[in-house]
Formats: sequence, structure tokens, C-alpha cells
Amino acid sequence: MSDNGTTRGLPAISRRQLLAGGTMAGFAAFLSACGTGGTATQAPSASESAAPATASAEPSATASAEAAATPSAEVNWANWTYYIDVDANDQTKHPTLDKFTAKYGTKVNYQEVIEDNQSFFGTIKPALEAGQDTGWDVVTLTDWMASKLVRLGWVEEFNLANMPNFTANIKDVYKGLAWDPEMKHHAPWQSGMTGIGYDPTVTGELTSLSAFFTPDPRWKGKTEYLTEMRDTIGLAMLYLGLDPTNPTRADADKAVAALQKAKKEGIVRDLKGNSYAEDLKAGDAVLAMAWSGDMVQALVDKPTLKFAVGSEGGMLWTDNSMIPKGAAHKGTAELLIDFFYQPEIAAEVEAYVNYICPVKGADEAMKALDPEIAKNPLIFPPDDILARLRVFGPLSEEDEAYFNEQFAKVLGVG
Amino acid sequence: MGTLLKRHRWIAPYALLAPGILWLLVFYVYPAFQMFVASFWSGSLEKGFTFSLANYTNYTEAIDQFAPQYLRSIVYAGAATVLTFLIAYPLAYTIAFKGGRYKNVLLFLVVAPFFTSFLLRTISWKIILGDTGILLGPIKELGLLPEDFRLLATPIAVISGITYNFLPFMTLPVYVAVEKVDFRLVEAARDLYAGPWRPGGGIAGALVAGGLAAVLGIVFAWPWPILAAGAALIGGAVGWFLVSESFIRVTFPLSLPGVFAGSLLTFIPAIGDYVNAEFLGNPDTRMIGNVIQNKFLTQNDYPVASALSFTLMAAILVLITVYARILGTEELTTTGRV
Repeated sequence: MSDNGTTRGLPAISRRQLLAGGTMAGFAAFLSACGTGGTATQAPSASESAAPATASAEPSATASAEAAATPSAEVNWANWTYYIDVDANDQTKHPTLDKFTAKYGTKVNYQEVIEDNQSFFGTIKPALEAGQDTGWDVVTLTDWMASKLVRLGWVEEFNLANMPNFTANIKDVYKGLAWDPEMKHHAPWQSGMTGIGYDPTVTGELTSLSAFFTPDPRWKGKTEYLTEMRDTIGLAMLYLGLDPTNPTRADADKAVAALQKAKKEGIVRDLKGNSYAEDLKAGDAVLAMAWSGDMVQALVDKPTLKFAVGSEGGMLWTDNSMIPKGAAHKGTAELLIDFFYQPEIAAEVEAYVNYICPVKGADEAMKALDPEIAKNPLIFPPDDILARLRVFGPLSEEDEAYFNEQFAKVLGVG
Repeated sequence: MGTLLKRHRWIAPYALLAPGILWLLVFYVYPAFQMFVASFWSGSLEKGFTFSLANYTNYTEAIDQFAPQYLRSIVYAGAATVLTFLIAYPLAYTIAFKGGRYKNVLLFLVVAPFFTSFLLRTISWKIILGDTGILLGPIKELGLLPEDFRLLATPIAVISGITYNFLPFMTLPVYVAVEKVDFRLVEAARDLYAGPWRPGGGIAGALVAGGLAAVLGIVFAWPWPILAAGAALIGGAVGWFLVSESFIRVTFPLSLPGVFAGSLLTFIPAIGDYVNAEFLGNPDTRMIGNVIQNKFLTQNDYPVASALSFTLMAAILVLITVYARILGTEELTTTGRV
């Protein structure tokens, strides 16, 4: 039901809200699929009150991005909740956005409207299909949905002349994806790792994904997988020595077989969304496929827990900023995306969000801001770990349906 | 208005029905129709859906592939209904006949859990049933259970969760029915040799309670028949001591409408429930509601999801019809028999 890391950043929303939100959002997608045509309902026309208005911050550090584009009066950005810095005294203010406004005079209409990829896609699809402006200039969506939009030709191509920080500071691990090899359609916003979350006091030190498939009495019946198909199948593929960056149906079959075997052997207790973190804390699970962002939080409550990226590898998922086809303020959107590729700005966002930052130099900038976070390997993973991470490759719609159907068997609903 | 209604008396019932009918039309009939249409779709969210009667295969696929989950839903909902009955009946009986001036307080306590959200109540069971939680923790400390014994992520947890969540739906109708029983009829029955000393009630009570306990024992403690046998014995003994002839002949028959209503109010939502199976179960305990949820929200397979929903509705209708035939609703909705 939930997407990768639906609770992005802190404070995390409760599971109750999560479930309610997910259900409603999914229902909305169903309704929008039933309806004929219609327009993007959530598009912000000119909601005066929504955007941060004050422009008091000092000019930002790098002034290299002197605009080739003329900034427009406003720019509209759809993002997930808790996914950008907020002012400690005023939850409605986002200091980094205020800095953007101060620099370009553009009011950023920043809306936290994305609950999950699929249902948000449902809201912008009719306009894109009809070749109209969706009302959004920047949307931030997870890899697989991002690749789908690119495949459908519904994303504007960046004018990289407007984006010097982006071209200079994007980390290498993000480059060269099959669905956008030259990075002309998407700019990573935040990432998370999927790896091994465990309680070493019970399991001992773990370094290999093979633990998830070994009926060891220490974690038999206390192991949890993720309900997110790409994470669980991805880790199973890595364990089997397959390449998740280029997934095939045969791979899906092999991965599902391995997962089903592990279930049969009684290793697996359950498949969970974010709530595996609760189970790790309560001791109902001692080994779980886990997301780095959740573990940052879980470690605060139970410091004995550990997160590791398996020697076979781990999954990397990313939410990406993109400009939907026909966006009214394309040039300004490019400036906005680029603005957050300045290391100081990126660090400021990261200090609040606690996921993985795609910007080179943000860790250095973070040292000045909060040295604790700068040292945290879950937020700024060292290069040798980054090199082991894989992004789940794009799937055609038919293949995606096939993968989901096979995975439903693992979930017990197929 | 008043004169209008007086002149056209036929309007009144329709006017009274209008809000309810309108509500049902907008929020039940229309969505149900929409879903029925969707169950004959083929296609995908990305490419769009097309309608064709040839897509009745959605139904055959739904039934073929998901028979285990349908069956599981029926078994779990059935077991939970029996359990709620076993718990709710004595509870309602006690409140009605022995509650005295605490009646309202006791009734309030029955409903009190409803002041918290359904989800929160279910999730809190995770804490109670946790592997080292307040229930199993101490037992394991004493060494009475093996370390790897667990209740969470088993059918026991799912059925217990459903039972707990739907208990008031059984208690309240049964209470209303029991409360209406004219106690003078019971006294008359006792005068006519249907008192506690007649063994008939005890035997019937022992057989029924023991039988139900045995069924539950088999469902819950499948690998340990000795536990099921123990449950049957205890159930039988309880039935023997508690059930009197007058109860079997007067009170229980008169309260049957409440039992009937209560079991429908429990069984129907329980069979479609997915929250308990999601939070308290694991892949081996998923119910049909979980399948529908996954089909709708994860796979975006709206046609098969709709077909599954309609099949479920049809299955419930059939089951309810059979149940009503057996219990004889006609008599239940009138005064009942003595």
C-alpha cells in the first residue's frame, strides 16, 4: 500500500494516518480512473496563502547560477510530506524556499500533495494525456514512476544551461540510468537505502543477505520482509547474484521462488511496510529488510539495532524532481531544482529530512551545520557502501503487472 | 406543509424514506453499479479500461485463483462469530438480568472501546500478543512455553482480533432481545417443572457448549487435539452447570432474534475485514479483503478487484440465505415461540 519510505523525514506520520491516507489516496486513484477525463484536481492555481511569503534571508552562498531564464512570478512544486526543511518556530515556513524567493523574486507554491506515486499519477494523467499544463512545474516522484513518465514522453527536457550546480554536484552513483542516461529529465531529490536491519544482540553480526534465506534458529520466525515489491524482489535478486538494474520475468520467478522457499521453511514471520521498525524495537522481529531513513529514527529509540548493506549489495531508491510536459514555468522550475544542488542549501534540507542527499559536498557543508548528522553513515553513506547500491531497473507496464502478480503470492494474496 | 401532508397522506412514508434512499443511492447503489461495470473491464490503468461482457472471465479468475482466501475468510469470520456469541451471550444475559442499577454503566463499558479508532484497537493487540509482551512474556519466563512460540502472525491472533473488534455488535442486539424477555414467563416455566433441577437443560447446555468449544478447539489448536478435547470438556461442564431447562425452553428461544441479528452484524463485516489479518496475521492468514486491497491499490487491477468484491457479496448473500432458512427468520421477526 505504501510507497518506498512513505514516511519521509521527521517527524514521521503515524501508521494510522499512513493507512488512512494510503487507502483514501488509492481510492481516489480508482475514482479518477473511473471518471472520464477531468482535470488535475489538486493543481494550485493561485493560492495566495499557501506559499511562504517572507524574504528576509541573506543571499545564498553560490551565485554562479545567474539565470539564463527570466524567473517567473511563481512556481508550483508538488512534493511529499516532511520532505523539506521547516522553520523551527513556524511550521509553515521553509527557510530554503525563502532563500530562493529572496534570490529570484519568485514565490514558490510548495504543496505536500503526494501521498503515493500511483494516486498522484492519477491526478496529473488526464492533463498530460490531453497535452495540457498539469498546474505543476516540479513534481517529485520515485524512480519507477519517474521512468514511467519519461517513457510516456510526459516530462520536459532540462535546459542544462540553467542548471550549473546540478551538472557539477550530482553524485556519480546516480548517473547513467537506462531510462535517462544523460540525466536530462530527472534530478534526484532524496534517496534511501534498503538493507539489513537487525538486532546484533540476538543475531550476532550480519553482513550477508543470505541471512534472509537461512533458517537459523536465532532469527527463524523473527524475520520480516518488506511489502514493497521492488525492495524485497531486489534484495532476493542480489542474494541470487542476479542484476536488479535489469530485471527480467525469469529473474522475478527465481526471486519469488527463493522468497517462497524461505517462507515455507518458517524463516519469515511477515511482510511489513514501515511497521517492521516497531517490530524490531519490540523484539517481535530481530532481522528485517529495512529502509535507512526509518532506521535513523529506530536507532534513537533502540541503539542496539544495526543497519547494514549486505555484501551482495543493497537497493537504492530515489525520489526525483521532474518538470511535467507543458509546465507553465519551465525555466524557473530549472532554477528551482538547481538551487537545491548548492551544497549549503542541500545540507540545510538534509538536517531536517535525514534521508540520503544526492549532492556532492553537502556532507562538508553539513559539518558546519550539524557534525553529528555529517558523521551518520545512514545519511551520508561512505563511497564503498554507495558503490554496492543498485537501483531497481525500469519495467514495462506488462512486466510490472507480472512482477506485482508474482509478488502477490509472497504477500499471501496471490 | 402540514395541510399538504394531510391532503396527500401517501406522501408521508416516501418523504420519510427519502433521505435514506437518497443516501443509499448515492453512496451504495451508484458505487456498486460502477464497480459492477468495472468488473467487466479489461485493460490497465496506463492504457485505459474497456468494457466487454466477454470479460466475465474476471469472475472465473477471481474464484479459481483465490478460493483459499475465500474459504479462509469464511472460516475465520465463522469462528469469530461463534466466539463473539459465546462471550456476548452470558455478558448480555448478566447485564440484562443481574445488572440492576449498573445496567447503563455496564452497557457503556461494552461500547467504550468504540471511542478509540478501529485501527488503534487492532494495533494495540500487537502489543498485548507480542512475543515477549504482557501475555506471553511472563508465561515464557516461567518456562511454560517454548521461546519461539508466538501468537502474533498466526490465525489465533487474527480470529481473536476480529472477535474483539466485533464483540459489541453481538452484545448489543442480544442484550436488547434478552432484556425484552418477560421474566414472568421464566417463572411460569419453573412452576411447570422446567426449573434448574430438571436435567434436560443441563444436558442440552453441556452438548451445545461442549460442541462449540470442541469446534473452536479444533480451529485454534489444530496440532494439539488434546487441547480441543479439554476445551470440549470445560465447555460441557460450564453448559451443564449454567444452563437450566427454563433457559432452553423460554429465555433462549425468545432471545433468538437478537442472536440472529448479532451474528449477521458480526459475520458480514468480519468476512470482508482485512485490517486484523493485515496487522495481526502474516502471509498464511491473509483473507479475501487483503486480496481485494492488494488488487485495487497495488496492482491497480480494478476489474479483478471488482469481480472479487462482487463474488464476496454473492457468497455472503448465499450464506445468509441458508442461515436464515435454518433459523427461520419469519418466526424470529415476530414474537418467537414458547
